[in-house]
Amino acid sequence: MSTSTMTAPVIRTHRLTKRYGSVTALDHLDVTVPGQRIVGLLGRNGAGKTTLMQLLTGQIFPDEGEVEVFGERPAENPRVLSRVSFVAEAQKYPYSFHARHVLSVAPWFFADWDADLAASLVDTFGLPLRRPVAKLSRGELSMVGIIVGLASRAPLTFFDEPYLGLDAVARRLFYDILLADYAERPRTIVISTHLIDEISPLLDHVLLIDRGRILLDADADVARGSTTVVSGATSAVDRFVEGRTVLARHSTGPLARATVAESYDAVAAPATAAGLTAEPVTLQQLLIDRTSSRQGRTS
Amino acid sequence: MTAITHPVRREADAPARHHTWQHIVRVTRLQFVDPWVLIWTPAVIIGAAWLVSIVIALIITRVAGLDPEQMRQGMSYSWAVLSPFWYFAAVGVQAVGTTLQFALGIGSTRRDYWLGTTLAFAVFSAAVAVVFAGLRAVEVVTGGWGTSAVVFDALWYGDLPWWLAAYTTFALSLAVLVIGAALTTCYLRWRVIGVVTVGLAVVAALLIALAAITWLQAWPALIGWFAGIGVTGVFGIVLGIALLAGIGGYLVIRRATPR
Repeated sequence: MSTSTMTAPVIRTHRLTKRYGSVTALDHLDVTVPGQRIVGLLGRNGAGKTTLMQLLTGQIFPDEGEVEVFGERPAENPRVLSRVSFVAEAQKYPYSFHARHVLSVAPWFFADWDADLAASLVDTFGLPLRRPVAKLSRGELSMVGIIVGLASRAPLTFFDEPYLGLDAVARRLFYDILLADYAERPRTIVISTHLIDEISPLLDHVLLIDRGRILLDADADVARGSTTVVSGATSAVDRFVEGRTVLARHSTGPLARATVAESYDAVAAPATAAGLTAEPVTLQQLLIDRTSSRQGRTS
Repeated sequence: MTAITHPVRREADAPARHHTWQHIVRVTRLQFVDPWVLIWTPAVIIGAAWLVSIVIALIITRVAGLDPEQMRQGMSYSWAVLSPFWYFAAVGVQAVGTTLQFALGIGSTRRDYWLGTTLAFAVFSAAVAVVFAGLRAVEVVTGGWGTSAVVFDALWYGDLPWWLAAYTTFALSLAVLVIGAALTTCYLRWRVIGVVTVGLAVVAALLIALAAITWLQAWPALIGWFAGIGVTGVFGIVLGIALLAGIGGYLVIRRATPR
């Protein structure tokens, strides 16, 4: 099924702008996210990822532009908010709450809450329920957020840097459970992260933002295929990239490596003919190239 | 185009989940989840105030050998009964500061949050009123817990029938909680500047009122008016202040952002 044409956008922003004093956190952002997919919200620290999620969940208010979730404005809108789950990376819990308090309150707020899933996740992660949230480690705090987010089964679920403090095994568990649960109950899941390589295989859609601007809003396969790295002898690389859009270029003496804004399919054959090696760019590399492109061009 | 927008409409309108009352009451329940905040800590405070009062009474009558009836009269000015109300102000401040972000994260609106929280304060204040009335009755029946001590039959309570006494407890508790919470909404919306501005505005208004009353030489008339409205009227004003703080908090929190 071609969901991109069949499903109405779950998230839509138009010239969305948020300023904090002289800092523009989001700068006229236009984003459209179709429903029923796993979306990667990617960007460096301070790119505006959390600001965007706060605007989409009505936690803060835009200075300019429009934001729509499920076709309506989210702020103070119970029809939207009752279908949205957002556990922030720096989520605060009521003073003196234990994890078990959080898990006993959350079901009142989510119509589709799955108590069995929550219980099994507590077991799987080994989350201590009878300890004040304030005394949990960073990883355990992330577990609370992951459990609330997954068990909420909210039609639109945000995970804000969900793996902070989790070890590799717990992160793997999170990805596996997320995928399994998503396959069973498709919904829209937005994951903000900078651990891109790890999460990349999960993603259906990519939003890449940098300094409050959108750099890429595309299907993940398209994003992955949109740029290519060519490498080989410096002179051959220089000849090859002439007339092409270069996102990044690095050279070490006789060898050079350049990222061009063309698909692997379009570049592979001519690159091989020129004696160069072509590789599709990973999302992680794409982020690095796109967000440090100015340094890339001058080097 | 219609094929695209149609499912969104239906999805947004369809859920029978928009039960406003339920959305408010779940926030009320949220405020009672941790029993330490609204049950055990107030109980400990009032218990400690009671114990201290009893010990003082015993020292006065048994050790110092004073006349129990004379002590009874002196203790009827004791503020021990008011001791938990200071804590309630802190509860009002803290409740909003620590639960708003959580409630918003799990999908509450600010509107439902405020209505549910003030409802929790009202339920709690009613419970405090009943408990205080009960304790006062026990105190009267047992002759001051067998020691002639006065804890709950003190201050204005001593002059009132139990139901009027309960009404004053309710009004005072609710006002303290809601004012604390409303001040926090100012902090969340405008940070420190908001709280300072509101504080200065209240102080300025009070000073202007005092000056005006003095200027108009209206003190005797005002005191007479207060005497006329009596305890019931005074606590009616307290209840009115609570209502104003509740409305103010509602208006402020609708655009407040947690931090």
